[in-house]
Amino acid sequence: MLDKIWFPIFITFWIATISSLLVLCSGVVLAYVFARYDFRGKGLAELFVTLPLVLPPTVIGYLLVVLVGKNGFLGQMIFKVLGTGIMFTWQAAVIAAYTVSLPLMVRTAKAAIEAVDRELEHAAYILGRSELETALIITLPLAKKGILAGLVLSFARAVGEFGATLMLAGNIPGKTNTMSISIYSAFQAGNNELAQVLVLILVILSLLSISLTGKFIDREKFEV
Amino acid sequence: MKIKVELKKRYYEAESSELKGKRNVFSLDVNFEMKNELVVLFGPSGSGKTTLLKCISGITHPDNGIISVDSRIYFDSDRKINLPIQKRNMGFVFQTYTLFPHMNVRKNIECGLKGWEKGEKETRVREMLDLLHIEELEIRYPSQLSGGQKQRVALARALAPKPELLLLDEPFSALDRVIRTELAEKIKKLQKKIGIPLLFITHSLDEAFLLADRILILYRGEVQQFGTPEEIFYHPRNLHVAELVGLSNIFDDALVEGQVEGHNAGPKRTVLRSGGMRIAVKPLNLKEGDKVSWGIHPENITLLPLDSGSEDHDENIYSAYVHSITSKGPKKRIILKLSRHEKSLTAELSAQFADALNLNTGDLCLVKMDMSKVVAF
Repeated sequence: MLDKIWFPIFITFWIATISSLLVLCSGVVLAYVFARYDFRGKGLAELFVTLPLVLPPTVIGYLLVVLVGKNGFLGQMIFKVLGTGIMFTWQAAVIAAYTVSLPLMVRTAKAAIEAVDRELEHAAYILGRSELETALIITLPLAKKGILAGLVLSFARAVGEFGATLMLAGNIPGKTNTMSISIYSAFQAGNNELAQVLVLILVILSLLSISLTGKFIDREKFEV
Repeated sequence: MKIKVELKKRYYEAESSELKGKRNVFSLDVNFEMKNELVVLFGPSGSGKTTLLKCISGITHPDNGIISVDSRIYFDSDRKINLPIQKRNMGFVFQTYTLFPHMNVRKNIECGLKGWEKGEKETRVREMLDLLHIEELEIRYPSQLSGGQKQRVALARALAPKPELLLLDEPFSALDRVIRTELAEKIKKLQKKIGIPLLFITHSLDEAFLLADRILILYRGEVQQFGTPEEIFYHPRNLHVAELVGLSNIFDDALVEGQVEGHNAGPKRTVLRSGGMRIAVKPLNLKEGDKVSWGIHPENITLLPLDSGSEDHDENIYSAYVHSITSKGPKKRIILKLSRHEKSLTAELSAQFADALNLNTGDLCLVKMDMSKVVAF
């Protein structure tokens, strides 16, 4: 019984953490590029990143299976490098979580970066700072609140991910049975007790993470 | 040090507009040189002042032209040189201060000292805090500073990396009058002390005359005149300049009547005919019958009581009715209806002098416009 509770908690947070780290790194870069550059095809690129926000999870799951499955373009590359496929592993669950939570980060961080006064960046350039330095010491620190908000949203979305994960990583006990999936299967099997415990833990952890983030943000002493 | 600016930049309407074609909406066409001096860029909103500074700093680029500081070329369209902002060694003080809100004063100043040795950095920050008398603000954040303090920090930050040129875009526009004057004087002293060229944008005529070694008047993207405050004030080259420097009595209907050679009949002068008046001005290099405008600053008009004499065409003395008198604190503004011209004249006198004249609305009096103070262009 304990394994049935602890493993889903562990694997859910493991997947959500790895996915959120990836989302943080790539999402901020994408958000900066979308906020500060104009280039041909920018609209299309933004649409592509945002699409998972509006597509049904099953559709995302299906498309991901096509992409990273045994015959998929990415799937074949992964097979060549690793010598094994990644379908029905926790890594596949990370890919699913990453895909659905990336747009939340990109949209929130982009808005925050756009809100940073460009003149502050110009001032830093004039003081001899390169664009990368300026982004790291001026723009991103000033957009921190937005980026943190994006991170919280992305993490929460990853924790709650169900549809695409089920299609890509399946429901393998001790391997890919995340909390959401465990709740569903416990409910299906009539194991209400387990479902209730998992639901309660999920609610408590979600509340905790949101209030912690709130506290962290409030500690900022400067006004932007 | 010699700065050379010669540039053209055009702005077009958005391509998506119904016109489709590129309709030119604004063009900046500027050409000037300056030395180790304080030059004030003066002109109405939308005349291209900020764009000019942005071109020099590299925030934006001209379509073509040359910008150079001594032998260092910042921009040259023919040779395809466009030095990145970071490599142009200049300071820039923005209208909005642009202090980094998440860094304290010390960190803000240090931001431009990248690559300096730790000890040197420390010394330089001290020097700057000292120079601008802001030692006590060192560990404060921008949100904890007043407007005047922010502007001092912005100046300290701009000067810290020892720039070869300092650009200031209306740095005092958000400050109150007392602090403005104090900071303006401070900047003038600073410029002499550190000896680098300084380009300063302002909307305020007072500030321009207080600060400038030379004033560059910009109107609709073109340089109208570039000269000392004295030259600009008394010898405006055209109507735009005259209006910009506050010449409110402008008569644009005059024709040259003739030249008078000096000797007994007073100094050498040019005589203009304007309405029913003959106005003597300092000699102009114009032919008889040429069109010309003339004017006089309100504070350069003298009023005389009627019993002190009569109209005198050689001395620019004409009769006028007092139309209205308004008090402007220590000064009085008197609007006069000229007997020999349909335009009215505005005079500004000290309240004391105006009271002594004991003028009332409707009174007839004499107006004297000293020849040396009459401006013709």
